[in-house]
Parts: sequence; structure tokens; C-alpha cells
Amino acid sequence: MINKVKDILQGKIIKWEEKSSKRHYIEIDKKDLRSAAELLFRKLELRFCIATGLDNVKNMEVLYHFSDDKTGVVYSLRVFTDRDKGKIPSIADIIKGATWIEREMRELLGIEFTGAADTSRLLLDPTWPEGVYPLRKDYEYGRKEPRGEDSCRRPNIKIEELTKNGKKTKIIPIGPYHPLQEEPEFFELMVQGEKVIDLNINLGYNHRGIEKIAEGKHWDQVTFLVERICGICSCSHPYAYVNAVEDLLGLEIPLRAKYVRTVIAELERIHSHLLWLGLAGHFLGYNTVWMWAWKYRETVLDLCEQISGNRNHYAMMRIGGVRKDIFNSEIDGMKEKAASLVPILDLFKGAVIDDPVIHARTKNIGVLSKEEAINYCVTGPTARPSGLDQDIRKIDILNGAYQLIEWDVIVCQNGDIFDKTVCRVLEMYESVKIITQCLDKLKGLKEGNIWEEVREIPPGEGIGRYEAPRGEVWHYVRSDGGNTPVRHKIRAPSYMNVLSNELAAVGGDVSDAAITLAAVDPCYCCTERMQAVENGNVKYNWEELLRLSEEKTKRLRGELK
Amino acid sequence: MKTIFYFLVFPGFLFALIVGMVASYIERKVTARVQWRVGPPILQPWYDLLKLFTKESVVPENAHLLTFLATPVLFMVSATLVAMYAGMAFFFPDAAFQGDLIVIVYLLTIPPICLILAGAASANPLASLGASREIKLVLSYELVFWMTIAVIWVKTGGELSLVNIMNKPPVMYSYSGGIASVLALFVMQAKLGRVPFDIAEAETEIMAGAYIEYSGPLLGFFKMGQYILLATLPFFISSIFWGGVNVFKYVALLVIVILVENTNPRLKVKQCLKLFWFILFPLSLVALILAVVGL
Repeated sequence: MINKVKDILQGKIIKWEEKSSKRHYIEIDKKDLRSAAELLFRKLELRFCIATGLDNVKNMEVLYHFSDDKTGVVYSLRVFTDRDKGKIPSIADIIKGATWIEREMRELLGIEFTGAADTSRLLLDPTWPEGVYPLRKDYEYGRKEPRGEDSCRRPNIKIEELTKNGKKTKIIPIGPYHPLQEEPEFFELMVQGEKVIDLNINLGYNHRGIEKIAEGKHWDQVTFLVERICGICSCSHPYAYVNAVEDLLGLEIPLRAKYVRTVIAELERIHSHLLWLGLAGHFLGYNTVWMWAWKYRETVLDLCEQISGNRNHYAMMRIGGVRKDIFNSEIDGMKEKAASLVPILDLFKGAVIDDPVIHARTKNIGVLSKEEAINYCVTGPTARPSGLDQDIRKIDILNGAYQLIEWDVIVCQNGDIFDKTVCRVLEMYESVKIITQCLDKLKGLKEGNIWEEVREIPPGEGIGRYEAPRGEVWHYVRSDGGNTPVRHKIRAPSYMNVLSNELAAVGGDVSDAAITLAAVDPCYCCTERMQAVENGNVKYNWEELLRLSEEKTKRLRGELK
Repeated sequence: MKTIFYFLVFPGFLFALIVGMVASYIERKVTARVQWRVGPPILQPWYDLLKLFTKESVVPENAHLLTFLATPVLFMVSATLVAMYAGMAFFFPDAAFQGDLIVIVYLLTIPPICLILAGAASANPLASLGASREIKLVLSYELVFWMTIAVIWVKTGGELSLVNIMNKPPVMYSYSGGIASVLALFVMQAKLGRVPFDIAEAETEIMAGAYIEYSGPLLGFFKMGQYILLATLPFFISSIFWGGVNVFKYVALLVIVILVENTNPRLKVKQCLKLFWFILFPLSLVALILAVVGL
């Protein structure tokens, strides 16, 4: 494959850097970007992961990462542009999955993408001033921006709108706050009767600027920071991050640490999938499944607590290994608990997969075809049900035990909601298998050797990936030899998966849309953790808010009397 | 004077409300236990009402004021009337009148109509979607409901009085009556708006549909109407099919409602229509033919 890439990019390559056998950085001129991207994406069928924009102060740099899902090699196209009014040709018309990241880089770094169809803001508030780019190096975190008159962020909920072909339609708002969603997000369904004819996705309600914060934290602190991107994937993000740093260092961790990492990461997968299964039941109106799934999820959380001391936010990962060991004396008990999950999974398999009404509600609903799945660059349990055989665990986790044990990747073919459910349920069986094998292996190893000492992070760049419950988590770090990362790019799986809703939900009923939107297992806090915007203003703190609300209650009471 | 007593106290408003609240408590408690939750205390329905009636009602700016205010009350009143007539036939056979079966069946369509009007008057896209779903739901089950009533009418030799129907041997002990009574269970589930037929309020899709803009006492009226319907419908179904009512029959019907509710996901409105028109309606036709033949 490497030779093929070299051949196909003949004449375009300015510099080819091979950081390791799985990481290749290819510098090209920006005028060649479109043709190069098209060749890699269409001809060689590499998957577009994400683009990373960097402010090098002297110029702007953008890395386009492509992954070969058969071998786990990542090819990154590197292009440079001017810092002021820098322009790069847009590739969103070639690769649909690049739409959001281009919008994001435009608003956060001020890089213009020529030829992009959609240049509206993705994450920033509409009242954010033009020409202020919060992810640039000259923007200090927490800086206050002057606010306009109409600065309160009120979603402009319209009732009617004209569609692309000029017809009038009603808009059904799902969000920003809606019982369907655990987190604020705004989907505008344009409907005629019950039929959804178009979908508008609005983001940005949950934006915390974690990438900017990471640039101000010590390498070790960042592990804890990224853990807080999402409470559900609180192992996957640090896992990908330490993978990235270890990729930068070229470090291999002790065997025992590999097993411990794998155990905790797979426990997280089971609890996340059970959580999703429950919610899916709730969205279909099947509340019993919801409560049962969450009840049995407790077993998994107990195991997590036994290992790490916490139900979520395990704080297990550290650069070079894991922070806490698993006691060999406790392994038998853990194995018993893990084995007790199998009858539970059988129960759900029976209840969910054989239920005729669930069949009626999920089969051939929200279908994402294989071609579209490739085009939207979706990952994980959104891609695998559509027939894409990609699992990062199989191909690109050096510091995990996935190559040392037996397990299978679950791939389904239809891409509908039912297959997405089946895929997740079967994946839980695989996770139990992985955990049991890892615990067995751990028993034969001596306790104690769980980390490599890492003192300095030399200059360089590294890419770390992990297969989170929702799909591939992507972390890119760059070091200049200092205490903190110069750039830390994070891409959560939902960032790629949620966009595919604009395809899967359209054409169905409103009822279908509800479950379709949920079937990618969207996690908005991941999707939006992205870059740097706090609106700056810490206007009220906790005490003040409390005082204000008490005053208001008093006032209202007075008025009522 | 006596009629006012029937309407307001027994077996009308007060009695039906209390029975409905208890039934609602049982429903919630059993559901909770099935789902490994603790469930509410027995007075929870009462607390709910108390809370609603001490809060303010917000009327949306663009709503049609009169319709918006009147429909909850009408909803409750029509439910109470059903409770009164069905109860009178059982408790005061002398006060009942010939043809109350028809009156009850008609009165039972008024609550959904109120809901449709309320949804349409709310000026909210989700409420209007809820209203349109309610229309489709009514269209689906009403046909089957009338067919089952027709089976009763044929089986009892043209009886339209609840008292006389209850005095005859129970209809359900025959082929036609058996089919019809099972179909009536489907209709009851749909009329009560329980899963899998809670399409019109589906909270994860359209956020309670027609109820979305209602708050305070106005929502309280709807709530009371729902309690009364929960008390009345099993009572009514039991009286016409099972030859009268007692606590066991009532609780058995309630348990069926709860069990179905807890072991099914929600149907889509199209699927619901298909189920009632193309599967249950032919069945009811078979039942009617059997009844005419005399089975």
C-alpha cells in the first residue's frame, strides 16, 4: 500500500516523512490537495479521518489524515498556507465527511476554504465577532470578547420554511432541549405531514474548548482533562491520547499494563452499549428495556469501581502504562462477575432481537448504505452495520492486548437500525470474551510492573487512535519539547457519525427520525468538545447565581401575595 | 337532585376519580416493580393533582383562547358522563335507561375529539402533529370498536341496555364473543393511550403531543379525565363482555393493560392503522358473522 500511495502521488510529493511503519506524513503543495485527496479517497479507498489545523505563527498548517483500515497505516497530507487570509481549496465536495471540519477550521483558525458550499459557523455563537479566531496562538484562553446587543443565545425556532425546491414545510424542532436527547442539540426536521423531507443540524450548545485548554496543561494533566470530555467514553479518550504520546515517543508499554488497559476499555464498551440499548428502548417507548439494561449495567460499573475506584472517570491511563494494577487475588471474582453478564446478554438478545414490534420499528429504517457510509466517513457501530469491516482495535493499537487474544469484529450488512442494534449486542459478547481472556492472562503475570518511566516528551508529532464504543477516537499531539502540547487535536466518533443523520433520517416518519437520530449513539459533549470557546464572560459565579435565584423567588412570592 | 348526585359523587365524578387514582397508583407501582424501581407512594396521583391545581396555567400567545380553555374541561366532563352511565347501570339498575350502550359509545369518542381540538388550538407544531396522530388513531380503532359492540348487540338479541346485557349470560363464552372481547382489549389499550398505542403523546418524539402547551389546572383537568377513563374503560368492557364487574375482573383487566404496556415498544401511526384496519377489522368481521350464525 505504501508503494501504491507513493506511485499515485508521483510528482506531487514535496517531502515524505516516515515517523514509524504506521505513520506517514506527506507534504504536498496546496494546489495539489484536491487531486491528492481524491486519489487517496476514491482510488485507494482510504478513509478520511479528520483534518488538523495548526497555527505555526509564521504560517498555517493543515494535516489531512487518511487511514488504511486494512493495515492500520495513517497517511497524513500536510499543506501550508499564509497566516493572514490563508486559502486552501475545499475538499468537502469530494469527501462529505470533511464538511464540518472545514467549517470549524474556518471559524476557529481563520483559514478560508475556497469553493466550500457551506461556510456558516459550526460551533461558535452567532454573536461572536468576525475576525477573532480563538484557536490561534495569539488568542489567550478565557479572553473576553465584547458582546453585541442581542447576545443571548436564543435558538431562532422557526415554524415554517421553504425547502430547496421552493415548497413550504413545517418544522418540527428536536432540541435544543428535548426528551429525546440527554444533551442540548438542535435538529430541525422539515416535515410534510409525518414525513421528514429535510434535516438541519445545529451544533455548539455544549462547546467547552478542551483543545485550547489542553495547550495550557502539562502532558500528564491532559490525560485527566480528556477523560472529562465525556463521562461515557472516559477511558477511550485518555487511551487514544496516551497512544498518541506513545506514538510520538515510540514507546512500548509493559505487557501487564496492556492487559489492564484492555480490560478497563472493554468494560467501558459494555457499559456504554448497555446504556445505549436502554436509551434506544426508551426512545421506542419500551421503558422496561431501558430500566433493565441500566440495572444490569450496574454489574459492569461495579467491576469498574473494583478496578479503578470509580464508576466513571477511571483515571487508569498514564503515559507509559496504567496508574493502578489489578490484584491477582481478585481476578477470580471478577471473572465470575464478567461471566454473569452472558445470561443477561442472552436475555436482551432474546427480548430485543426476537420482538416482532421491534422488528416493525427498526428494520429497513434509517438505512445508511455502504457507499454513503464511506462518503460520510462514519466509524464504529455506525459503519460496521453498513458492511464496513473497520475496527481500530484489530489494526492500530500497539499498546493494547487486542493482538494477543482471540476475538472477532462484528460486521452486519443492511445498515438499518436493527443491524445497528444487533451489532452492538453482539459486540458486548465479544467484549466479555476479551475481558475473560485478559483476566486469565493477567493471572499468569506478576503484579507490579505496570508502567514505563517517561520523563521528557521530545519535539515531534504523534497520532493515537482507539475504538471507542461509538467508533474511532482520534488524538493528534505535537510537541516542541516543552511541558505542554503545542497542539492537541481531538476528534470524537460522533463528530463523523452525527452528520450521517442528514441522510438516514430523511425520508422516514417523525417516529423513525427519533430512533434514527439516536441510533448513531450520539454523544454531543464529544462532538463539540473541540476548540476554544468559552464566551469568555464569567458573569456570575455559583454563589451569585444562587443569590439571584433566591432573590427572584422572594420577589415572585411578594408579587403573588 | 338525584342526577346531580349521580354525576358528582357516585358513581360519577368523585367515585370514578378515586377509583381512577387508585388504578393509576397500581399501574405506576406495578410498572415500577417490573422495572426494578421502587415506585410512588399511594397518594402520588393526589399529590400530582394538588400540585397542578396550585400552579399557574400558561396560555400560548397564538392559541385559540376559548378552545384552549374549554377542551380540558369538556374532556373531563365527557369522561365523567361515561363513568356515570356505566356506573348507574351497575349500581342503580332502576335509574338506568334503555339505549345507554349507544350513549356511552358516543360519549367515549368525545375525549379524543377534545384532545384533537386542544392540539389544534395550541399553535405549536408538536401539538398539531399530536392532534393529527390522534385523528389517525381514532380512525383506526373506532371501526373495530363499533364492530365489537355490534357483536354484543347480535349476541344478546338486540339489547342496547347495559342492565339487560349484564343480566344475560356473559358474551365472551362463545366463539364470536371471545374474539370480540380480545379485540375490545386492543381498543381499550388504544383508547387509554397506553403503549403500544401512545402514539399521540410519544414523549421522545413529539413531547406529549397535544398536551405540550398545557400546564397547571388545565393540565389537571386532562389528568383527572384520564384517571376517570382509566377507572371507567375496564369497568365498561368488563360489564359488556364479562357479564358484570367485580374487583377481580377489574383488576385483571388493569393488569392486562399494564403488562402489555410494559412489554412492548410504541408502534408508528401507520403501523397502528394497518393493524386495526387490515388485521383486527377482518377478525371483527369474522366475529360478527359467527355471531349472526349463532356461534
